Amino acid sequence: MLLKTTLIRLLTTAVTLFGVAVVVFVLVRVAPGNPIAMMLPPGATEADIAALEALYGFDKSLPEQFVIWLGGVLQGDFGTSITLRRPVDELVLSRLPATLELSIMALVIAVALGTAIAVIGARRRGTATEVGLDLSSGAVLSVPDFLWGLVFVLLFGVLWPVLSISGRIDPQIEVDFTSNFYTFEGLLRGRLDVVQSTLSHMLMPALALALPLAAMIAQLLKQNLKEVLLQDYTTLARVRGFSETSVILREALRNALLPTLTLVGVQFTFLIGGTVIVERIFSYEGLGNMAIDAVINRDLPLIQGIVLLFAALFIVINLLVDLSYTLLNPRLRHG
Amino acid sequence: MTGSQTHPNTLDVMQLNIALPNGHRLLRDVSLSLRPGEVRVLVGESGAGKSMIGKAVLGILPQNLKVTEGEILLEGQHLNAMTPWTRRKTVAQSAALIPQDPLTALNPARRIGPQITDPLVRIHGWSRTKARETALALLDRVHIRDPKRVMESYPHELSGGMRQRVLIAAAFAPSPRLIVADEPTTALDVTVQKQILRLIRELQQETATAVLFVTHDMGVVAKVSQQVTVLFAGKVMEDAPTERIFTDPRHPYTRALIAATPSYADLDRPFSPVPQALIAELQDDIVRDDARHQGGAR
Repeated sequence: MLLKTTLIRLLTTAVTLFGVAVVVFVLVRVAPGNPIAMMLPPGATEADIAALEALYGFDKSLPEQFVIWLGGVLQGDFGTSITLRRPVDELVLSRLPATLELSIMALVIAVALGTAIAVIGARRRGTATEVGLDLSSGAVLSVPDFLWGLVFVLLFGVLWPVLSISGRIDPQIEVDFTSNFYTFEGLLRGRLDVVQSTLSHMLMPALALALPLAAMIAQLLKQNLKEVLLQDYTTLARVRGFSETSVILREALRNALLPTLTLVGVQFTFLIGGTVIVERIFSYEGLGNMAIDAVINRDLPLIQGIVLLFAALFIVINLLVDLSYTLLNPRLRHG
Repeated sequence: MTGSQTHPNTLDVMQLNIALPNGHRLLRDVSLSLRPGEVRVLVGESGAGKSMIGKAVLGILPQNLKVTEGEILLEGQHLNAMTPWTRRKTVAQSAALIPQDPLTALNPARRIGPQITDPLVRIHGWSRTKARETALALLDRVHIRDPKRVMESYPHELSGGMRQRVLIAAAFAPSPRLIVADEPTTALDVTVQKQILRLIRELQQETATAVLFVTHDMGVVAKVSQQVTVLFAGKVMEDAPTERIFTDPRHPYTRALIAATPSYADLDRPFSPVPQALIAELQDDIVRDDARHQGGAR
């Protein structure tokens, strides 16, 4: 049973990734803008153009190009970036940690903030506090992440400059790490200067990404909490002497989290999508920033590589959400 | 009032009125008392307010309902005069609830064991070992096979009858002086109902716990109670020892309720509901009553 589900899962994953590969491959080639023209000076001869096209394989037909590229991908060769002239997989993997750290920090902030607001709202249900929290999360939700980014730059970069507004780490700090997970490796190695610097660079973009998701979690989770708090087992807990706060935290929260988890899973993929623009605003050296450069420069192999990686990331996240669902809900564990 | 200074009643409800925010009364001057170890049944049709009395005692009335007049004394202590915090502690120390629907009264995400032992440890301050031993012994007492395995189970792995047994064990675990049993058999199979009733009765007698038993079933009344309070529209119609209720019911509504109880011995007997004329007459009484009550309040 488990084997069958796993196999089906793997198969659908492969099909999805193949579909993504086809779509992105065709789209970047159909879209206007020629990578070769951008690489050559204005006065280049026909022969120069033809030679360069042959070098990158653009002289072959679309299906042929696709087969060659896919063959490479299957062997782990994602091609060479046209602008940066280095292997795509190496480039992409060197930037992935920065984006992952940013997204995870944003997710942690969103879940912590959203849950806290939901619990307070449920605890004070029916009072002005609840109404106030509802109104503020509505307001937060109606402002998109990149606008929050700009607001933070203005607040904490210009008016009250306490946080770094650009880059990933203070360039004066020397980093000789084996991975690009500066925060995680810094923690493991005890290099707190690195951790402190990356976190202070990450805080604003992470907060910008987290705020709309936090508001969404707060609203949905509070609603679920209020429904669960009408259940008989919460009444029984009150009779047994537990305070309202402890009823919410011990009896209600876990059951209310189930529906929220689905939202968080779906929204986390949107959040990663949001990194593209937010990283740009904060000049954060992540995948998203690289993606925008790649698109501007028509760096086809790099675009393809980044999109495939994003797709794979989304699939992994959905898998993790499904797994955690089984963890939280004992009724799904057997069978 | 019965009972002396040294042995107060387990529960005294005096002139209790509960009303909606618009002033409409749902409970009208209800008084009743329970001596230690006594079983009193509250009987009446749906909406008669019988569950509401238990909820008012335990402090779990719906938010829109308020106690407008009257006193509730638990082991001689005035519950209404307490702060919410003291009241919660006092109620948890001396009272417990056996809920109506065992399918929704256990947390689906938590194992059975902690759901019984948690209050013992965290509210009553017992050691983990003592709480666990008590829980195991009580589960065995309510005829649950393999209590150790059940402690590790989740609610969805147990049948409705087993869950109600678990809830009975959990209610008796902290040795409360009062148990409110809110229609504990209504949601169960008819075959299981009898066993559950017998179990509550046995445990009640062994531990000399007073039980406030809410039901709409006159058949249940005959099986478990010593005292009966008959309610109609939030008003006490008759309050009497169980024997007398069946041999010599004085109030016409009590007689009608007994007549309306279906009997297995006599299935051919036509069903005789409470007559409409009687209901109309009683309701007129209540309207007059309410008018007087409002006049008095002004």
